[in-house]
Amino acid sequence: MTRNPGRTTSLLAAAVALLSVAGCSSAGSGASTDGKTTIKIAVWNYASTPEFKALIDGFEATHPDIQVEPVDILADKYPDKLTTMLAGGDTTDVLTMKNVIDYSRYASRGQLAPLTDYVAQLDRPSYKNLTAYDINGEYYALPYRNDFWVLFYNKAMTGNADLSHLTWSGFSSLAKQLTSGDGANKVYGTYLHTWRSVEQALAAAQTDGNLLGGDYGFFKKQYELALDLQKSGAALPYSTATSQKVTYDSQLTTHKAATVPMGTWWAAALLAEKAKGTNDVDWGMAPVPQTTDGGKTTTFGSPTAFAINKKARHADAAKQFVQWASGPEGAAAIAKIGIVPSYSDSTIMKAFFSVPGMPNDELSRKAMQPDTVVLEMPVSERSSDVDQILTEEHQLVMSGQKSVDQGIQEMNKRVTNEVK
Amino acid sequence: MTTGTVSSAHRADAAASVAARRRKRRGVLVGWSFVLPNFLGFAAFTLVPLLGALLVSFTDWNSYSPPNWVGLANFRRLWQDDNFHTALANTCWYAAGHIPLTLAASLGLAVLLNQKLRGAGILRTAFFFPYVTSLVAVAVVWNMLFSPDVGPINQLLHGFGVANPPRWTSSTDWAMPALVIASVWRDMGYYMVLYLAGLQAVPAELYEAARVDGAGPWQRFWHITVPALRPTTFFVVVMLTISSFKVFDLVQIMTEGGPGRSTLVLSQLIFREGITRGRFGYASAISLALFLICMVITAIQFQAQRRSER
Repeated sequence: MTRNPGRTTSLLAAAVALLSVAGCSSAGSGASTDGKTTIKIAVWNYASTPEFKALIDGFEATHPDIQVEPVDILADKYPDKLTTMLAGGDTTDVLTMKNVIDYSRYASRGQLAPLTDYVAQLDRPSYKNLTAYDINGEYYALPYRNDFWVLFYNKAMTGNADLSHLTWSGFSSLAKQLTSGDGANKVYGTYLHTWRSVEQALAAAQTDGNLLGGDYGFFKKQYELALDLQKSGAALPYSTATSQKVTYDSQLTTHKAATVPMGTWWAAALLAEKAKGTNDVDWGMAPVPQTTDGGKTTTFGSPTAFAINKKARHADAAKQFVQWASGPEGAAAIAKIGIVPSYSDSTIMKAFFSVPGMPNDELSRKAMQPDTVVLEMPVSERSSDVDQILTEEHQLVMSGQKSVDQGIQEMNKRVTNEVK
Repeated sequence: MTTGTVSSAHRADAAASVAARRRKRRGVLVGWSFVLPNFLGFAAFTLVPLLGALLVSFTDWNSYSPPNWVGLANFRRLWQDDNFHTALANTCWYAAGHIPLTLAASLGLAVLLNQKLRGAGILRTAFFFPYVTSLVAVAVVWNMLFSPDVGPINQLLHGFGVANPPRWTSSTDWAMPALVIASVWRDMGYYMVLYLAGLQAVPAELYEAARVDGAGPWQRFWHITVPALRPTTFFVVVMLTISSFKVFDLVQIMTEGGPGRSTLVLSQLIFREGITRGRFGYASAISLALFLICMVITAIQFQAQRRSER
């Protein structure tokens, strides 16, 4: 600060000088002494996200001349951190694309190397959600996993309730019925996490709504349902969840909530926790509730992908990794630990359900085979700006600052006026 | 020859003035050589980036592709951008709460702890603690304290019979006051130390004389302490103003600008537009606007200070 700006600047100068020295010395380590190429890959929460280790180990076993070194970043800060790294000309070879909105931003800024030629040779129907990465006919990333939303539930708490054909109104009355207790012993029928997608993306997927369109009337029913669950005490209030920074994991694993709608990535984490003995929940998966009782399941999802940095130091080795990880071998490696790969055939689904601890009852199998999976957020240059506005107004509606109608009106107005 | 004496006198004069000039120049050079290391650091890490930001604000640079010159487009956009208007209003609202409250709290504490109290040293350290504590930890803990349903603050208010206590960080009306409270708590210790230093310089005779004349404690405070602390107060107000306008960390961690946009401040908008969205041109234009606002307010404060000294 201002106490001694001179000293601060010279200290900064020294720090920068030191950093650049350190940078130079580490720059040479790309090719190690035994002739192996070392590629770096940007990942998040390496210790608690087992898929990265599974992929890296599997790849290194089949590619003895390449070593893979993870660059571990905190999951919450991953998009910001990666953006800053790329803006600074970072040379990390492989970049994990956490969601398609960030992907479209990096790709449209020209920060990713094109993979279009490789995609042209693929058996495209086997790669689920590959088209989410299509930007004007060009591809800059390959999906390796493909998560979608299901309803997780605590078997002990739901008892005999039939979760196989839930409509939203059925879900609402079930949640109220499963709510009991008071104070510290309070048990909620459901937990709706604070993300806007819980209400908005489900509504968009099931009513054919356009999340970039600027007319958000289709959110109304879903918001009314969520607010009613909150008001009746069947779901933890939104403002408590945000101010306490409640994690969705704790709601199910500490027996606080009987049901939690969430993405399939959670399954692997729950299995890992159980293996470590940190939770004792007997859980299962059901299809997400539907608008009508038609029998078809529609949910939303989002793929996760690997891309190659345009400034990658070892672009060829990076390409080998991305192709391997997104292809059948990579898919087999992650299905074995309970993660839904993007590449899928019957053997891979079999591997998924034979993971020790994975619920493989009929309902869970049904949940894993939805009829339609709609992309969480359409990819466009406007996605990220629209996302910001929808998030801000979502907070106001869920915390009761604005009525549902006011919130939707404001979303319509702001998306139409502010996003060019 | 008259001309000869004149010219020689002239020459001597000229020689003397050359020597004087040389001496002066030498003095300047010596001065510069002392300032140079510091100035180089300042130039490399402050001046050049500042000028760079000025240039970038006239382009559409995204940190990756080569920048295009877009003239005043970024500033026109600024003028019409609803997010900028909201952030500017929020920042002013924050400053309007943070500056006077921190000033009052730090002055009050300094006057109290300047008394010869038992344990004053411990208390001074205790009040300075928040300032040296990690800001992230401070913000997270305040967030929990402010939690509307289970937080201790609202439980206390309930205990005092407030039926509907504020919803703090989950309410658009109360999120900003919550931030102001947390930031006053954090900053008051630092400014208290500045005031304590200022208080040491107030001559004790003035108080003695006032006491002899029968002035009460309140009168002594208003008529001796406050005027004697004017230079310190000026410094504190200037620093507080600048730090209020560039507030970022506390807001980013406690509310992230929410709920909605109710606590979106200018620095956050700069971060969002620049780092997150990669619109460095537009972000630079906002930074420039923030810089100008800070500069104008500081200039006004200096002007006011000069007038009051006259």
